[in-house]
Amino acid sequence: MILLGIESATDLVGAAVCDEKGARSECSALGRRRHAETLAPAVAQVLALGGLVPGDLDAVAVDLGPGLFTGLRVGVATAKGLAQGLGIGVIGATSLEILAARALDSGWRGDVVAVVDGRRGEVFAARFARGPDPGGLVELSPPARLSPEELPGLLTSAGSPTLACGDGALRYRDLVTGTGGVVVAGSTLAAPTPGGLVALAAARLSAGAPTLAPGSVVPCYLREADARINWVRREGPAHG
Amino acid sequence: MSDPLVLGIETSCDETAAAVVGPGREVRSSVVASQVDVHARFGGVVPELAGRAHLELLVPVIAEALERAGADGHPPVGAVAATSGPGLMGSLLVGLSHAKALSMAWAVPFVGVNHLEGHLFASLLDHPDLEWPLVVLLVSGGHTMLVLVEGLGRYRLLGQTLDDAAGEAFDKVARFLGLGYPGGPAVDRVAAGGDSGAFAFPRAMAEKGYDFSFSGLKTAVVRAVEREPSASTPDVAASFQEAVVDVLVTKARRAVAATGSKGLCLAGGVAANSLLRARVEAACVEDEVAALVPSQAMCTDNAAMIAAAGQWRLAHGGPSSLDLGADPNLALALGAGTPGQ
Ligand SMILES: [Zn+2]
Repeated sequence: MILLGIESATDLVGAAVCDEKGARSECSALGRRRHAETLAPAVAQVLALGGLVPGDLDAVAVDLGPGLFTGLRVGVATAKGLAQGLGIGVIGATSLEILAARALDSGWRGDVVAVVDGRRGEVFAARFARGPDPGGLVELSPPARLSPEELPGLLTSAGSPTLACGDGALRYRDLVTGTGGVVVAGSTLAAPTPGGLVALAAARLSAGAPTLAPGSVVPCYLREADARINWVRREGPAHG
Repeated sequence: MSDPLVLGIETSCDETAAAVVGPGREVRSSVVASQVDVHARFGGVVPELAGRAHLELLVPVIAEALERAGADGHPPVGAVAATSGPGLMGSLLVGLSHAKALSMAWAVPFVGVNHLEGHLFASLLDHPDLEWPLVVLLVSGGHTMLVLVEGLGRYRLLGQTLDDAAGEAFDKVARFLGLGYPGGPAVDRVAAGGDSGAFAFPRAMAEKGYDFSFSGLKTAVVRAVEREPSASTPDVAASFQEAVVDVLVTKARRAVAATGSKGLCLAGGVAANSLLRARVEAACVEDEVAALVPSQAMCTDNAAMIAAAGQWRLAHGGPSSLDLGADPNLALALGAGTPGQ
């Protein structure tokens, strides 16, 4: 089983491949905000590094968000295009699951709250525990859009300390650490990575999780579209 | 070397489209999924909703275009072309990313296409034997421009709108008059029963140059109705439409004469307007030049025109790089036709 992972939902853009022996190659860029320019070359690069051609792929994994709307669409469109062109399936994972799975992979024993910066003064967050499920995650609270002030409610726990990870946890560190018994993960766990994505997706596939047809892949936006007509852009500097 | 079968993908605004064009610019299939229903209740295109709809619609639209074209080989086409601008950023990125991915999956070239150049190629699909030079009046919800086409890939921008696009003026006036969305067909329909001489709306800059301005006209319509609330809506719509068409045709004719062009070509969504089509045809008969009025299918955004332009770009400039980004304000490559994105 050879799996390609497409990561483009947050500030980190890239791709990774893995096979059943665990061999992996990964290529990513952080903070350039040029998702469309970066992603396709990264896919070509990881395939070349892995000694692979697209036809070798058995499935495409993709970060479904929540995250940055345009970055997210670049990633999902790329995954759909590859899957449609190759006639293979797509397996999706949310940005929050990818973050939490990496945190648990790194050895954290307690619960994990993954927090993605949603911009406009909001965060996307979910709470997970280690579990027997594929990929080792149990979702304790579903992905939700919150104001940062609502984070302490999600972070509080009676038992062992909770790990908060993701760029949202870092951005609102003061609010997060104000909650007792919370540890904030460092910047290596700030963003979901393509390597983390393929590891999670590969575990789920080997546990029997199904893939989706490319036409049925739906991103997780967690925010209604801003229904403003963009007259300004349409009438902006004439296109000539 | 004969031209390859090209899959074109167009997602710059509110039409999700895919098409397959073969050698000799033969259109093998052209599928357009309109998002009009998605945007109608807002009275205009909502960028975020458009981006989401493209992402949902593109896989089945491409599948249908390939199937209708009988493109079932391995790979099904020899190249993939997609609009890289101008247009709405979040919409452009969907088609562009999908196209790059398909080109990688099939190991065929990818080429980014300028949407405006696509519109110029649309006329070629309807009129394969057209002669240059010719003047193209490109009028849509996003653009209003007069382009001199000296040959394939050789364009000169004669003039363009300084504020609203003509199609945008139609949308805004339709919305103000409560006629619904999209505004072009609505105004066209209502104006048919009105008196186009009822109101003398301004023709901005009609006497000089090739640039356009429609924002003053929109304001004049609003003022006229405020002054005369009982005014007949068909009369207002007809007078407004008359003013727009009058300015467009006057300047286009002058451009044809000044450049010694052999024809006047209409392109873009507003080219579907019945008065504009009739006036252009009449003017061309009078001026003894060819009137190149597109079919309804070639007026609106479609992917056949993108595939055709992509096929030409591929042959004359080669493929685009996989790191090509979308450019919401991409300009038409002017001058001697140096290919390049
Ligand atoms: Zn257009």
